[in-house]
Amino acid sequence: MIDPLVSRGRMVAVHCVVQLGILLTLTWKWTYFKWSDNLHEKITLADPFFPDWLESADVVRYAYLISLAVIVVNIVSWEKYLTRLCNYVTLACLSVLLIHQASYNDATFTTAWWACVWSVWYGHHMDDPDRIATLDRGAFLSRAMMSMVLLGGAVGKWTPEYWNGDVLYDIYFRDRNFWMFNYLRNTFEPDQLRVIATWYSRKVVAIETICGFGLWLLPSRLAALIGLLVFTSIAIFSNIYLFSVMFALMGIAAVGLFVVKRPTHQLDLEA
Amino acid sequence: MSVNGAPPKRPRDLSYRVVCGMIIAVVVWMLLMPFVPSVAMSTMRRFHLASDSFVLWCVQQPVPSMYNFANQFHARKTPLGFPETILSLDDQEVGDDWRYINHFPTRRLTFADGRYDLLRYSKNQWLEFKTTYRGQELNSLIHAKPVGPGEYEVIRKEIAEDSP
Repeated sequence: MIDPLVSRGRMVAVHCVVQLGILLTLTWKWTYFKWSDNLHEKITLADPFFPDWLESADVVRYAYLISLAVIVVNIVSWEKYLTRLCNYVTLACLSVLLIHQASYNDATFTTAWWACVWSVWYGHHMDDPDRIATLDRGAFLSRAMMSMVLLGGAVGKWTPEYWNGDVLYDIYFRDRNFWMFNYLRNTFEPDQLRVIATWYSRKVVAIETICGFGLWLLPSRLAALIGLLVFTSIAIFSNIYLFSVMFALMGIAAVGLFVVKRPTHQLDLEA
Repeated sequence: MSVNGAPPKRPRDLSYRVVCGMIIAVVVWMLLMPFVPSVAMSTMRRFHLASDSFVLWCVQQPVPSMYNFANQFHARKTPLGFPETILSLDDQEVGDDWRYINHFPTRRLTFADGRYDLLRYSKNQWLEFKTTYRGQELNSLIHAKPVGPGEYEVIRKEIAEDSP
């Protein structure tokens, strides 16, 4: 018998939020991708490292457009078999984008891919009888994925060039045209700016390390709120284009907000 | 709920275990990186498109690695060892010093903005890439050779590892 405490609408809403996150992730840099598409046709690179089909401008274009179309269908669909099919097609398209010559470097497709893996799993369980347990498991997977992504960022920064701020100074503070770095350049002397870059970089390493190790251990709602705060702040204080990477993570972070506590009498009976 | 009000016993969920297993595998791989030089070098080679095989590179692609390592690139108008100042400057806009880049330094050549910056004139382009991480270093040199209007051939000239 289906759990009466959680409606199917709630289960579908969770899936829609994650799909919406992936959709926003893919469309945030729409203008850039449109410009890129034109350029990939005009400038081609024959690299023996990649198979020919993964250098094709047509392949990257259709993988991208099909994934967008299928996500839209997925969001408006309430039919479970269609949902599952859409999830598999999206995962296949994102897998191509993850290894295509024109898109392999864009973390947009890494976070979208993991959010889609979550969706594939959830698509098979959103109609399970014990909906509370399904939401619990979904929230755990979302916390584990958020921790994994942040830890992935942290581990690669455990190196002197990040601890002394060299890398982020050169990428952001030296000449990046973004509101915060423009403000800091206009306000502080170059030697002060270099010190600020060092502490900015250390702050990034510390937050990613702490959240990477700790987020998955927190209660679902708290982890969801911290995740949403961290991912939003990364984009607002570094680079607005980073929302293309963050929206998918924000989508899976939001899963924790949908978790329902099991009533006490059920817990007693379980014990 | 079952008849007596208790939640129904859940069947074993293999797909849940598979996803958990994927996450655990990725986390273990990432945590080995600072301590096992070969794991770090494998990711550095991934960043330079210089993995031992394309399949090995693909398997690593889902591993999140945003802003990993100290990656640098330098775009040259001339081959390595040939003084750039001998040639007169032309309208080709290339960087005249080493710059840091967030991840995958080869994106400077393959991603759309890099292609536009460096390859829009259908001229030879040499790119040096350097990645360092906790005492390890990987250097590579790529020659983008024009073979037709807007068509380039990528030639890897040199890959050099330096591990402690």
